[in-house]
Amino acid sequence: MTFRAVVFVGLCVSIGVVWIIESGAADVFLEATKPDFQRIPLGIAGIDNMGGAESSEGRVKLGTRIEEVLKADVRRSLVFALVDLPSLGIKVDHLGTEPDASFKQAAENGVSVIVWGKAGVKNGSKDADLSMDGYVYDAGSNEVAGGKRYVGSTSVVRLMAHRFADELVFRYTGEPGIARTKIAYVSELGTARELFVMDYDGYEPRQLTADGFLNLMPRWSPDRRFLVFTTYRNRNTQDIDMLELATGKRWTLVSQGGLNITPALSPDGKALAYSSSHEGNAELYRLDTHTKTVQRLTTHAAGDLSPSWSPSGREIAFTSDRNGGPQIFLMSADGSNVRRLTFEGDYNAAPAWSPRGNWIAYVCRTPKKEYKLCVITPDGQKHLQLTTGLGVDDSPSWSPDGRHLVFSSTVDGKSQIYMINADGKDLERITFTGTHNSAPSWSPAS
Amino acid sequence: MKMLPASYLPLILGVIVLGIPACSKKAVRSGGDIQALQEEMAKGGTAKEGTSSSFPDTSFSGRDDSTGLRGLDRNPSEERLGGNSGNGGGSGGAGHTNAMIAKADSGAAARQLAEIRAEQVASVAAGLRDVFFAYDSFSITDEGRHALSGDAEWSRTNPYSQLKIEGHCDERGTSAYNLVLGEKRAKAVRNYLVELGVTPAHLSVVSYGKERPFCSEHTESCYSQNRRGHVVVKTGK
Repeated sequence: MTFRAVVFVGLCVSIGVVWIIESGAADVFLEATKPDFQRIPLGIAGIDNMGGAESSEGRVKLGTRIEEVLKADVRRSLVFALVDLPSLGIKVDHLGTEPDASFKQAAENGVSVIVWGKAGVKNGSKDADLSMDGYVYDAGSNEVAGGKRYVGSTSVVRLMAHRFADELVFRYTGEPGIARTKIAYVSELGTARELFVMDYDGYEPRQLTADGFLNLMPRWSPDRRFLVFTTYRNRNTQDIDMLELATGKRWTLVSQGGLNITPALSPDGKALAYSSSHEGNAELYRLDTHTKTVQRLTTHAAGDLSPSWSPSGREIAFTSDRNGGPQIFLMSADGSNVRRLTFEGDYNAAPAWSPRGNWIAYVCRTPKKEYKLCVITPDGQKHLQLTTGLGVDDSPSWSPDGRHLVFSSTVDGKSQIYMINADGKDLERITFTGTHNSAPSWSPAS
Repeated sequence: MKMLPASYLPLILGVIVLGIPACSKKAVRSGGDIQALQEEMAKGGTAKEGTSSSFPDTSFSGRDDSTGLRGLDRNPSEERLGGNSGNGGGSGGAGHTNAMIAKADSGAAARQLAEIRAEQVASVAAGLRDVFFAYDSFSITDEGRHALSGDAEWSRTNPYSQLKIEGHCDERGTSAYNLVLGEKRAKAVRNYLVELGVTPAHLSVVSYGKERPFCSEHTESCYSQNRRGHVVVKTGK
């Protein structure tokens, strides 16, 4: 694969200009999984505006908008280090389908990948379709690695950039990227809380339910077709429902009285773990989604809740207050081999097992009684606090690439949704409207 | 700016307008097949312990390649995004973004509001009192016992009424664990009412955790208002 060659060449030449690169050298996550990983220096030479086309978001030209979205996606990928070409003294005169003369100079300055393109109204289109062309120059081979051509309506302008960003990540890592992923969440409408879904960067919110009461804690199915969540039937009983995103169709999965909360589908989609108090206190159960049979997983007088599957599907992390305050426990997926994972502090809850398997994120209460994000390795050997300061942090959920977490926090007053790198860097708020946005759940990648 | 699109306005207006005549109607579930579930359970079908057997199999065998990426091309062919025509969308990826819609029971929000209001009116008229809890606690205080003695008296003199005890929590802590704590509070209230002689069948409990706060300030005086066992006359089913 060209990836290693590119990185190697990039590293050799970039030593002199390492100061311009947003280096991830201290990145705990990347260190933990890929000790030799260095972000690939990537420059965006520009997405030219063609034919005066304007995007759906007002007066900003289409190319300018796509470039802005692409830059944000590249930055968030954590695979690339976004290089500012003008600051290297590189001036791109002409963007066509062939590399500009300046690209060679950029390569000599350590830039491994240069992307450029154009966007506007598609030539000869009767439906006023928009098009975007993107090209990728590979410094290692000093040639154009290839390109993409997207067409569509004004409603897919951001998607063009997201898809192109994912192609870049795919080319250089073999992984699909996260720019087309989505985040399901809960938003307040009046006194009701309804399910919504938005792009991973907080744009394009869509309302999914309009029940007028409470819908809580959505989780994705592994194939991204469904959400499972808690709903209050007639305000008095809690059920677990499933909703199909493409159609809005709903099914009731669990309806048995008492609390029925924190549903989570296994990575193979064959089992739904959830917490129910219909036999007395909150216990964990496992519903086989094919045979529809139920198995009780925990038996304890204390509350057991918030199951989170390991990526292999063989283990489940969960919250239990069997020792007083809530703590994180692990068990095998059949309910055997229960053992306590967290011992620091008197309140640890809402575990989320990383899709890479190496970390479990959770909400930890600090000695100052602040509710913050922590991560711990499944062997309990290493744990870190990711966020600090005021505000109640809640509901951590991993990106499918395991490099980011999304969570809710009241740090700015009202509950809003934030993104943070797995090493605690690059905290970014992604919801800005409404009185309450919470319970984010990051979709799997496609 | 990230604003709710203007296209929500008709939906919201629709909820308000359509909701008015629906206020007096019996609750009808939206979109789902709760009816099928109820029929099945009535028949003693295969649904076990209140779980449904009618939902789709969600098992998943790896990545859906039809929505995946195609790699760069020296001579890129056109990929259409977002539409159902062309070759770039795929059924589960880019293509379904336009299909995700709220399947609204347009009267639901207004009906819920009307029922909540009716509950409030009936509860105030009954003179029911709430119980307040300490941080992290579900123990009933002396003041709480005093309040509940009045509620118990009302229940004994109104044997055909149902009381609902809602467990509430302050905003601190996780949503999920607060639902468990809210249930513990509601059950503590119910158990004390039963000790005072209220018929258990006249009582039901529900936990709202921190999802239906009485106030939203980040202050102890607000937190203490939200750590509550809220006793109401149950008007719906």
